[in-house]
Amino acid sequence: MPEFTCRLKQFRQQKGLTQEQLAAQVGVRRETIMRLEKAQYNPSLKLAIDISRAVDAPIEAIFLFD
Amino acid sequence: MNKDKKKLFFILGVVLAVLMGLSVWYSVAYNESRLVAPTNLAEYTFCLKDLPMILSGVLLVLYLLSLFACLLLHRVKAKGGQASSTHTRTISPKLGLLGLLGFLGLSGFVIYPITGDIFPFLFFVFFGFFSFYYEGKMSGTLIDERYRENRLRAQLKANRIFTSIIFLSLLILGQGRFHGNLEYTLIAFVIVVSLAVALELFLSMYLLYRYDQGGSLEEEGE
Repeated sequence: MPEFTCRLKQFRQQKGLTQEQLAAQVGVRRETIMRLEKAQYNPSLKLAIDISRAVDAPIEAIFLFD
Repeated sequence: MNKDKKKLFFILGVVLAVLMGLSVWYSVAYNESRLVAPTNLAEYTFCLKDLPMILSGVLLVLYLLSLFACLLLHRVKAKGGQASSTHTRTISPKLGLLGLLGFLGLSGFVIYPITGDIFPFLFFVFFGFFSFYYEGKMSGTLIDERYRENRLRAQLKANRIFTSIIFLSLLILGQGRFHGNLEYTLIAFVIVVSLAVALELFLSMYLLYRYDQGGSLEEEGE
């Protein structure tokens, strides 16, 4: 899995969303959001876009690849 | 099947039953019970008075065929719906105990010397039912993209292990002389393949559980 840094938690909290709420919005489980935030899971393009829209932040700001 | 279809089939069934009843009465009363009493079809010759029985028989067969087709279609649709369901099926982890049936495979060592049957060795496949334990633990899980990815990963790894075991057993048992006996070689191969299938069934679920649920899962509860 490619190494990347995930700043999703920061944007999610700025938006005032819990992991559960964000997961429900983008159609995944809370565990998936949790692993995403820990950069333990590499999302698909569609999921990344959905998350980006949900937290109102650009994809390249949320997921930082080395 | 929706309510209207059920109603239609019911009404048609009643109508056909009445028609059949009337045809039978007519045949018994006015046609010497032709096609009602046991008939030797090889010696049968058509008679106009047989028409009611023939027609109602044909209609009945068509009705039964269409009912069967409808039920089959409904079942296929229901299965398709299930396949595209958003959550995994709900089963009890206790079903994993069915895996103990795999020990029935040992009965082959008792039965084979007596009857020569090797079929009992196939029961080793039931060890694969231990997978129900892990499937039960993941009952009602939302099938998101991570789940689908983990499922594919687990199936791939299980399949690789299965293929490796089969390949190795082919290499070893393909020599053809297990304990100097071709029959023992066949039995050994049946046992190995059965156990390998069981292992694949078990591993595909166990690994899915490990990939999906394992790792550090601190309850962040945000």
